[in-house]
Amino acid sequence: MASVRTFVARQRGNPMIATLMVLVVLVVIFSMTSSRFLTWENFLNVTRSSSTVIIVASAVTLVMIARGLDLSVGSVLAVSVVVSAKLASTGTPLPMAYLAALATGLAFGLLNAAFIVGLRVSPIIATLGTLNIARGAAFLITSSAILVGLPSNWADLGTGYMFGVVPYPIIVAALVALFFSVLLNYTVFGRNVYAVGGNEEAARIAGVNVPRMYIALYAMSGLATGLAAIVLGSRLGAGDPNIGVGFEFDVIVAVILGGTSLAGGEGRISGTVLGALIVAVLSNGLNLAGVEPFWQYVAKGVALVVAVVIDRITRVERESRQTRAPVAAPGQTADPGA
Amino acid sequence: MTDTSSALGAPSTAAEPLIAINGISKRFPGVQALDDVSIDIRAGEVHCWIGENGAGKSTLIKVLAGIVAPETGTISMEGYPVSIRTPNDALRLGMAFILQELTVVESLSVAENITLGHEARRGPFFNVPAARERAAKLMESVGFGHVDVKARVGSLTKAEQQGVMIARALSLDARAIFMDEATAALDEAEVKRLFDVIRRLITTGRSVVFVSHRLEEVLHLADHVTVFKDGRVAASVRNRDISAKDLIRWMVGREIASAFPPRTRTPGEVVLEARKISTRSIQGVSLTARRGEIVGLGGLVGSGRSEVLRALYGLDPVHEGEIIVSGRRVAMPSIRRAMTSRIALVPEDRRSQGIIAKRSVEENTTISWAQLGQGRAWRGESKRIALRMIDELGIRTRGPQQSVATLSGGNQQKVLVGRCLALEPGILLLDEPTRGVDVGAKAEIYQLIDDLARRGMAVILVTSELPELLGLADRILVMREGRLVGELAGGAREEEVIAVAMGQRESLDVA
Repeated sequence: MASVRTFVARQRGNPMIATLMVLVVLVVIFSMTSSRFLTWENFLNVTRSSSTVIIVASAVTLVMIARGLDLSVGSVLAVSVVVSAKLASTGTPLPMAYLAALATGLAFGLLNAAFIVGLRVSPIIATLGTLNIARGAAFLITSSAILVGLPSNWADLGTGYMFGVVPYPIIVAALVALFFSVLLNYTVFGRNVYAVGGNEEAARIAGVNVPRMYIALYAMSGLATGLAAIVLGSRLGAGDPNIGVGFEFDVIVAVILGGTSLAGGEGRISGTVLGALIVAVLSNGLNLAGVEPFWQYVAKGVALVVAVVIDRITRVERESRQTRAPVAAPGQTADPGA
Repeated sequence: MTDTSSALGAPSTAAEPLIAINGISKRFPGVQALDDVSIDIRAGEVHCWIGENGAGKSTLIKVLAGIVAPETGTISMEGYPVSIRTPNDALRLGMAFILQELTVVESLSVAENITLGHEARRGPFFNVPAARERAAKLMESVGFGHVDVKARVGSLTKAEQQGVMIARALSLDARAIFMDEATAALDEAEVKRLFDVIRRLITTGRSVVFVSHRLEEVLHLADHVTVFKDGRVAASVRNRDISAKDLIRWMVGREIASAFPPRTRTPGEVVLEARKISTRSIQGVSLTARRGEIVGLGGLVGSGRSEVLRALYGLDPVHEGEIIVSGRRVAMPSIRRAMTSRIALVPEDRRSQGIIAKRSVEENTTISWAQLGQGRAWRGESKRIALRMIDELGIRTRGPQQSVATLSGGNQQKVLVGRCLALEPGILLLDEPTRGVDVGAKAEIYQLIDDLARRGMAVILVTSELPELLGLADRILVMREGRLVGELAGGAREEEVIAVAMGQRESLDVA
């Protein structure tokens, strides 16, 4: 009981309350603009379409808590899809094709790690480079065509339901989010991620193996992208090298809306999941309301800027609240953070 | 404008001083950096400022440079009160500052650096030939005429870069030039040339304020010497008939507070031995540390004390020499190796190198411990360790989950000590453990350090506060310019430490 009370108490001033409110408000608005919004089928649509983002954004949350960045996920998504589609369409058994997607994602994740950790390139530039490399690779592999002729069981994962009720993509997304949440909150590795994001030099001096941690983070980001590729490719039923353009944007918006600060050191998976849902609800709601698709771009762009501004304002507010009330015993001057 | 008839100890009384500093005080949290300081800086003179670490010289320079605002006092130039609120004000009043961290733009040329901010123009364009001509003339006048004004400043030697800064000061029509530790990176020939330049500068009626730790230089160069101590002016005299001994006596000579635990420990066997270790910043340093012993590293700022600790902990790469822990050689010192050899470090700057502000007391305390492969029940153990440290070290906090940013400096320092203790180290390296900590917490930390040594730890302590060094350490190893130059027993006097630190005297047993 005490732990529940501490849990609830800690939620006050929790940036996620704001995010949850936003989601609720959006749901309310859209349920009024379209009668088809608040249906079970549509609920499944929204959560299913957010599953790809959730899978990747969960991994990217850790990267961003550690003050890293991965802009390459959209392209890595595409190249992983086409690799597995190409193999599947030429007779490779499906499990092997899936494995190939994971391997491709991992490979590009390690490429990012090599640039960032090995060559000390800044994450923005490094992952921007990988973004182009991967996209080019996707087009080369498919000769710019969209791969079809996939086996009949290809679409099972993306369009099927577990026990006939819950779509597989949602199950996969939930498992991935759970995995990263456990990693972040219950392991030493997770604590190290927060520590490095909070003060990399201090973490290093305290004995954290910082390079190894970054390698693991970028590798996991790539791996998660490969997994998302399996799910997405299966849903689309084709190997399209054009997919995922702008996907990294959706991922980053989800992470930031979820409360992860660009300054690093803070963030939670639950927030990211909410952020992904907000993005999905926004798209879905605008669609159902008959708004032109391009307005969705505008809406997402505005959402990102608003999220960053809110993050900065609440961060200043939170930090000043922390340093304004230091604990000092009688006879001892309080010296906040000096 | 130089006065030639003043007696020792009486200030010269020519026309109005170029700069008159009157009653300047400045307080930082926990320390009175300047206390009613009054100094006259006269034109056409070399005025040397000298004093220990933290005596107030640098703070006063920052006040004159418009970087720090004093609480009381006035500054006048040639009799007229002036207000210096920003570096720009200082610039416009004709003051130039050449500090130890040279502020040249390495990617630009000599001519561009000299005229930066007040470039010669032809319409909207940069008048290159005019700039070059002016730069060449100025470099000639400061004795660096051989330097190509088109050369990239980054490619010049430190001495030449300094010449560029002096030329720039002249270009800005500076009347008073402040040099802080200008000779630190120069060799003998370059120092001689710098002194010639300085003497040439003062013949034009300018003033040069020269801050230095090198007593010989001060006695050689100065027309007037001001000695700082504990934020006050201990002496301000003409450079006539004064000796190094006088300077040292003015610099120290205070009572040592007995806030220190009595030394009743007997050191045991040697646990740490460093043999002629060299890094980028230190050369051939050898030392030993025993169980139950507190070894102090003394010396001036920049002498390499922290760098010795960094080398022992594996933070800086060690080119030469060996580190031996409990009889076993540590190959390729790294942070990981240090931790497994049971060496722990409390770093110098707790804000940038120690504390992870956003995280809790618990996380900050157990982060190092957590790296050493824990079992499945690690989170419970982590909480227990944090609670134990809070209790044992007397960390004042609402609980282990409190954010460490809200703790006072002294308590944050205790958290860092707790982080080390959780590793159960045999060797504890402390770098400025009471910096920015108030008096009450200081006493607690002193007791803590003594207790730890009593428990069998070997402690190596770096502190810029001489009383602290002398009060805690059993032995004091004195560093100077990257080398170990002397060893003194714990009961030494402050004057002895300063003397060895400044190269005035070699003590008999060099470690």
